[in-house]
Amino acid sequence: MISNFKKLFSYHELLFSLTRKELKVKYRGSALGFFWSLLNPILVMLVYSFVFSIVMRLGIKHYAIFLISVLLPFNFLSNSVNYGANSIVANGNLINKIYFPREIIPLSIVLANLTNFFFELIALFIVLGIMGYKFYIYLHILPLVILVQFFLVSGVTLVVSSLTVFFRDLQHLIGIIMMIWFFGTPVIYPLSMVPEKFQFIMKANPMTVFSIFYRNIFYYVNYPEELQFPTLKVILMAVVVSLFVFFLGYFVFKKLEPRFTEEI
Amino acid sequence: MLEESLASQNGIVTNTNSTYIDTDGNSTVAVDVRSISKIFRIYHGKNPSLKDAILKGKRVTYEEFLALDNVSFSVYKGETFGIIGPNGSGKSTLLKLIARILVPNSGEIVINGSVSALLELGAGFHADLTGRENIYINAAILGMKKREIDKKFDEIVRFSELERFIDTPVKNYSSGMYMRLGFSVAINVNPDILLVDEVLAVGDQAFQSKCYQVIYDFMRRGKTIIIVSHDLETISDLCKRVAFLKNGKIEDIGNPIVVINKYRSYIEEMERKRIIEQQKEERKKIFKSLVEGERKVIDGEEIDKLSRVSINGEVVNRFGSGDAEIKRIRLVDKDGKDVDFCKYGDEVNIVMDVLFNTEVEDPIFGIRITDHRGNIVYGTNNRLNNIRSGTFKKGDLVKVIFSQRIVFIGGTYFVSPSVGYKDTKTYCDWVNNMLTINVIHHNRAEGIADLNSEITIEKISS
Repeated sequence: MISNFKKLFSYHELLFSLTRKELKVKYRGSALGFFWSLLNPILVMLVYSFVFSIVMRLGIKHYAIFLISVLLPFNFLSNSVNYGANSIVANGNLINKIYFPREIIPLSIVLANLTNFFFELIALFIVLGIMGYKFYIYLHILPLVILVQFFLVSGVTLVVSSLTVFFRDLQHLIGIIMMIWFFGTPVIYPLSMVPEKFQFIMKANPMTVFSIFYRNIFYYVNYPEELQFPTLKVILMAVVVSLFVFFLGYFVFKKLEPRFTEEI
Repeated sequence: MLEESLASQNGIVTNTNSTYIDTDGNSTVAVDVRSISKIFRIYHGKNPSLKDAILKGKRVTYEEFLALDNVSFSVYKGETFGIIGPNGSGKSTLLKLIARILVPNSGEIVINGSVSALLELGAGFHADLTGRENIYINAAILGMKKREIDKKFDEIVRFSELERFIDTPVKNYSSGMYMRLGFSVAINVNPDILLVDEVLAVGDQAFQSKCYQVIYDFMRRGKTIIIVSHDLETISDLCKRVAFLKNGKIEDIGNPIVVINKYRSYIEEMERKRIIEQQKEERKKIFKSLVEGERKVIDGEEIDKLSRVSINGEVVNRFGSGDAEIKRIRLVDKDGKDVDFCKYGDEVNIVMDVLFNTEVEDPIFGIRITDHRGNIVYGTNNRLNNIRSGTFKKGDLVKVIFSQRIVFIGGTYFVSPSVGYKDTKTYCDWVNNMLTINVIHHNRAEGIADLNSEITIEKISS
């Protein structure tokens, strides 16, 4: 495992270069280019706000901010997994012809989505600033939360991208799985709306714990009476689960890697 | 530097039951392949769905195919090593194993130095990105650092001759431009060991010769090159040693001329078997039509004729209907004496005796001369010279004389005589390499023909 990481590190320039490629390709040929990264969440925010504060009326103040503060991090997960699932198969020509540690491909997709997430956060900060939110109060926690989430996202993407090589059906299944995960995470609703007895199960999902943090940092910071940080036990569990998923993902990936060339 | 980056991968990488060992010692061996075996799975039908795999515990059904069977050999530092063999013999698999794209099922490969593989040019180019962007990505994939790419960027562009198009997306490139860019990047990676798979046929003549110059330059700088190719010319020109791979095993290894000749005769043997097989099929068809009582009248003799070629395999490299038979072919000097060698510039006659078994109208008598590599040096026939041969009856014995002046560079040449029908496509008889001519020549020249240049050197100004 350690020698694998060493080798991965020796290829870090390739990893960054493929990440840049991912980002460039994503916006190449579109007139607004990377502004879509900023525009997209704003449009999504408008749609959800209309649905949940005018049509379905959840009674949540500034629902758009409430939603977007967790939707962006969740998109980081779901985009990475969705694009990552097919990445090994799609890069078959490369894998068949040139040697390099294969995990670079899914990891470059995770990094590209992470970069995108950063851009979206900048847009969010601007909106928050205009609305007078004191989002800077808990900002120091943010890097840690993102780091732990990064491990979770990488782990899931690694597992999914390697398994898809052997079970092509998985790429169709992923959409459904991610939808279930989306609704099982308090993204469009607050955790407090969930009946008490289900709350513990939901907290076993590290994304729930991240959601609480993100929402505290960006949204509840403006409503201090609602602020409620999770207990240390719950936080530790999220960290342990995320790291476990990462190492498991890496292990599975490396186990399956030698057979990629023949299966593609 | 690349050396550093690859050196940092050093150490023993253990895969389930095989190993790659990188060493940076001072061994004279660049690549040591030790009892490598590779098994491929050939799947029947499609991958099982996830549902089937989980619910029914259904496993994929597959056959195993032994692509490489206990192969061992060493390639020494600074050596240019060729791998030849028929399709499916495992050449490319072997190269992919050395390049670590595939993992062997057993055995190990020891590699001394950094490796770069030219297996496919422009693999990983992204159509939407410009030439410039693709150079950076492709070079990074091939193991170059950003710093190095910056330094070599201009050289890469110059070599590819794509200066004007370097900021154009590669989707607008022609296939030749695409290949040129790919080759330019790959060649500038500058590894210790270069693996090449059929990629030298890139671009136009001028670019190709540039590519060869790079390869020669590589050789001069003492780099190790392993080439897989079907182009035996290239192999024999470039390689110091050659391995002939057949059905996943090394059939022969060593001197290029010896190994290539062995491979050639193997191919010819295969071709002969194919023709015999084909004729068997045709015979079967004829018998079938006889049995089925079709109203087609078939000459009883025709069946005999068709079987003639395969008599105990005694007649080697011979095909045709047998309506005429080449009985004998000789090289005769100007004094009318049979000889088996001649000197450069000699006037000689190539004489063949042909016996007709049936009436044949306007047959075409021809010869083809090939060199030891199988290149066609010269070929002619009476039709090309506008000479009508007339009609011959059963039992006619005919002598055909080709009067030649031999203007070849010294070496061994082979003459293949033929008697063809006037349709120019089918043959009564064709015998491969029936006559051997050894040409003695003292001039220093290279190639096949001696054009006898007169060289003058003048000073125009000083």
